[in-house]
Amino acid sequence: MQLLTEYREDVERVERFNFVSRLTHWGHTVTFLLCLLTGLILFLDGVDWLAAIFGGYNSAGLIHRISAVFMTLFIIIFIIFDFKGIKAWIKDILSFGKNDIIFILKFPLEFLGFEVKMPPQTRFNGGEKGNSILTPTCVILLVLSGYIMWFPAAFPPGLVRVAYPVHDIAMILSTFMVCMHGYLGSFHPGSGESFWGMWKGTVRADWAKHHHPIWYEETYGEKKAE
Amino acid sequence: MANLTNLYDVSKCTACRACQVACKNWNQLPAAIEPFKGNYQTHEDTNGDTYTIVRFIEHEDPVGGVTWNFLKYQCMHCSDPACMKVCPRGAYSKTEWGATIHDPDKCIGCQYCTYACPFGIPKYREREDKVAKCTLCADRVEEGMQPACAATCPTGALKFGDRYELLQYAEERVNFLRANGYPNATIYGKLELGGLNKIYILTDTPDKFGLPVDPKIPGQIPFWQDIVQPYFGWLIPLALAGSAVSFVTTRLLANKHKENKKGGHE
Repeated sequence: MQLLTEYREDVERVERFNFVSRLTHWGHTVTFLLCLLTGLILFLDGVDWLAAIFGGYNSAGLIHRISAVFMTLFIIIFIIFDFKGIKAWIKDILSFGKNDIIFILKFPLEFLGFEVKMPPQTRFNGGEKGNSILTPTCVILLVLSGYIMWFPAAFPPGLVRVAYPVHDIAMILSTFMVCMHGYLGSFHPGSGESFWGMWKGTVRADWAKHHHPIWYEETYGEKKAE
Repeated sequence: MANLTNLYDVSKCTACRACQVACKNWNQLPAAIEPFKGNYQTHEDTNGDTYTIVRFIEHEDPVGGVTWNFLKYQCMHCSDPACMKVCPRGAYSKTEWGATIHDPDKCIGCQYCTYACPFGIPKYREREDKVAKCTLCADRVEEGMQPACAATCPTGALKFGDRYELLQYAEERVNFLRANGYPNATIYGKLELGGLNKIYILTDTPDKFGLPVDPKIPGQIPFWQDIVQPYFGWLIPLALAGSAVSFVTTRLLANKHKENKKGGHE
């Protein structure tokens, strides 16, 4: 059984994600998972075995904080070194329209493996736009509420009390999205090349033409804006 | 076992602060020296090394001049404590006779309890990265002694004993005070938060002593503990289960259509 789509160099490939995007993405993958696993120790109550993996409750807390600082740093690196990329990303997310709604409505069938004819998509399809809105919003909320919980004495008590449920809700929503995103970006056969787009940076041109025709035309096609 | 509790009678307190010293002494707490703030109160608030303080609350009256309200302040040993509810490590417990005690071995210093407590009692102890608070001298009481503060009080303002008996005494005392120049005298801790394991006899209304008139656990805390924590988390196993189902069905359906399609991608 094939898990990932084969990476083929013998066909034409186009760039999908630049180095900074990929660094931020995988940096956040590692720091998010570390924060999640160390954080779940307190969320779930009584999972001593999970705490033991990280060397006990105190060192799990330390790992949680160190990972959180790196998570923040990756956001800052992304903002500093690829501000143009963020702007283009946000612009694409905000272009959420009819095609994206149709995509999301039809998506459950594609998710289960049925053949579905999707309307043409921009750089990010409807589902990816949803993920792009929800996950970064949750991560920003996690970072902000996290620092409030880390240094409660520096903030008004009312804000500290709000930070606790916000941290939990943002954790749950982002973990939900990360589970789906992780699966769709790797083992879901329909997503095909998208894993290589984030791992190596390039995708097959024919895949891009099929899955993201609007983006492909604008970036690499005849309508390419010079 | 009946609830054992501490009763504090404001009208008998001379603010000698022997209770503060006895508390430090018994619990072997180092001095926490704070700068002079222009009044007689030793500390701004309780802290990680000071479980109890005597508040000096000044009131200016055009006729009587400046008067003091004294108040010994410490953990109220609530019957349903918010600290115990939020603690992710289960470091808090209730003794069978009513004290709320905190196990420093389990504490990780997250301070959730500090912000959940309606009285702001559990305090962060920086030198240990843990939280600390009054224990109602559980170690002494279980050996048949009184809490250090009550044992040392020279005026009889602090009494330790059966909660029911002390409440009866408090009623009598409040009636006496009301008849003798303190018309607003009242009991605090009898009904507040379903009954605190700490009783105050006040010569005036609670707000004159800086006590919350109707203490409540801040609303965010029950929302977090009773709604978010038990129910929202199910979204995560749902996502994992959905992915697992899709992993199987996509491959089953792909095998079915194998004849009209070849290759890894669409």
